[in-house]
Amino acid sequence: MYFAGVDIGSTMTKVVLIDKGGSLLSTIKGPTGPEHRQLANEVMRQALEEAGLQIYDISYVVATGYGRLNVPFADSQITELSCHARGVSSLFPNVRTAIDIGGQDAKCMKINNGKLAKFVMNDKCAAGTGRFLEVTAATLGVRLEDMGDVALKATKKIQIGNLCTVFAQQEVVALLSRGEKLENIIAGLHDALANRVATLARRLGIEPDLVLTGGVAKNSGMVKAMKDSLGCELLVPEEPLLTGALGAAILAKETYLKAAAKGEALPTKSRRLGKATFFS
Amino acid sequence: MSDKSTGLSKAREIYLNRSGRAKELKAEGKKIIGYPCVYVPLEMLTALELVPYQTCGDIKEPITEADRALPGSFCPVMRNCLDCALKGKNDFLDGMVAIHSCDPQEKTARVWESYTSYPYFHFIDMPITIRPEALEYFRSQLNDFGKTLEAFTGKKLSKDKFESAIKFHNQQRALVRELYELTKPSSPRISGKEITLVIKALTGLPVSEGNDLLTETINEVKNRTAGPEKKLARLLIWSGTLDDTDIMAVFEDKANVVMNESCGGIRAYRSSVKFTADPLEGLADYYLNEITCARTFRQATLGETRKDYAGDLQSRFGYLKGIVREWNINGVIMLLVRYCDPFAFEMPSLKDYFDSIGISSTYIEYDYTVGALAPLRTRVEAFLETINQ
Repeated sequence: MYFAGVDIGSTMTKVVLIDKGGSLLSTIKGPTGPEHRQLANEVMRQALEEAGLQIYDISYVVATGYGRLNVPFADSQITELSCHARGVSSLFPNVRTAIDIGGQDAKCMKINNGKLAKFVMNDKCAAGTGRFLEVTAATLGVRLEDMGDVALKATKKIQIGNLCTVFAQQEVVALLSRGEKLENIIAGLHDALANRVATLARRLGIEPDLVLTGGVAKNSGMVKAMKDSLGCELLVPEEPLLTGALGAAILAKETYLKAAAKGEALPTKSRRLGKATFFS
Repeated sequence: MSDKSTGLSKAREIYLNRSGRAKELKAEGKKIIGYPCVYVPLEMLTALELVPYQTCGDIKEPITEADRALPGSFCPVMRNCLDCALKGKNDFLDGMVAIHSCDPQEKTARVWESYTSYPYFHFIDMPITIRPEALEYFRSQLNDFGKTLEAFTGKKLSKDKFESAIKFHNQQRALVRELYELTKPSSPRISGKEITLVIKALTGLPVSEGNDLLTETINEVKNRTAGPEKKLARLLIWSGTLDDTDIMAVFEDKANVVMNESCGGIRAYRSSVKFTADPLEGLADYYLNEITCARTFRQATLGETRKDYAGDLQSRFGYLKGIVREWNINGVIMLLVRYCDPFAFEMPSLKDYFDSIGISSTYIEYDYTVGALAPLRTRVEAFLETINQ
């Protein structure tokens, strides 16, 4: 008996396959991209191949993330907030607060007994998300994956006043022309992002254990900036991108087994790996 | 407008073509007066046989004109309303009445007046507290408003005309309350989306036609066998403005919105105007005291300087407890329109109040455009997941 979680985020698509005992069989990450929004089937195909399974072996599929409605073979949809909360608490059973910084949004979640209790999300704007670093990295000519390491080399604190991604770009250009060092500017950008997300988290109230997930948690400079801004310890999963898909797979398993225990058969979708169709 | 349609199908027709009926009445010689906000005392227009017409925004309309007159970081509802006006959508109006219900409306009124050329324009000043002096001042403002209307129409505002208009509008309020009685059963008889259609239609019709529409709708809904499905939760939406069915559909995808406490819902209809010897006194009291919008300052004892947080919360939000109990609500969404300061300032206290009465609530912001719908959906669904575990 196997279960799948499919997380279609704004930037990355992730699939996690687990078995009845909850063991990980395969995990796949791929860019969502404009054309890949239709191609959850491709990422799923790779995950199945890695696990040596066929699509009809999967008992239940939960889709999550912004693209959750576009997965034709998903049996149900659960928001990324509940899925992250479930995924994080399976990795860190004592978690009470989780912060997820993705490519397009930032969310803070209070978790109670492994379940989502409360949440806040950033408003509809790139400030406080991974996009902030992506855009400014491009302006500075630094690879996104190197941003964190460069930030850790800073020798001086620089305040970036603008939280707006577009205005921060202008501010960065002004700092460069003033002769400020690249690593100090980049560290300032990390601090600005961390402060923005920390403000969001404080609205909810922070209780330990606190876990940071999402693509931005892979950035060591950002983890340090978040710790400094929040003034407390942060736990980071080994694969911070996968917690949503992992949570979706676990919720798929739990939903299926709960129904099975009651002798109910859950409605499932056709086990065919088709492209997502829109506007149907 | 089709003569055959009645009730909900008629409401839908008017919702989709809100100015249709007003333009027909204009062609018959009636004068149509626009108003942007439910605080304008419509009784005074009705008493002089003027047709009130609410100048609403349209979330599907990209704002292209209003930005030449208003700042970008500004109430999106007012920007949208003004944008529609600047695009000529309200050019059929004979006049416009604006009111200082909040600062964005006051500022927008000034721009509206400068950029349009209706034969009549009036601005009502409205105080922000409910002290007796404020009430008296507001009464005097309504008196001035009445005089300008008399000059414009050449008719007298007699007590009989006043009382008859108040009677019609009170009847409308009672009918809207009756409509909301139909959301009380565990499987509501009418959806939040349908009520949005009806209430928005009312604001484009003369009061008597609105009352007929309400009566038809109530009868239709009471006698129909099919109604909305019972869903995961019974929601109360508390907001400045929620007057669009596409937005309502996001909430109702997985829940029943059984109460919309906003100016696109029950807010202007929750109680009735009292008949007083001086009709203006009753009107001033109703509009200043009875409409529960965050624009009005309320505290446990007005003028009291000692801190009484629990008492203040009760005085500001106590009515919501009654709604939560009577409509058996199990989740509240505080839906904030971006840049709406009066409502934004209420959020932390209101959250405390809902916590104190043991009801789950969440706060969601939207910017009154269709672009807001996808992020809105995720937040609404996540909230429903937290109350349905």
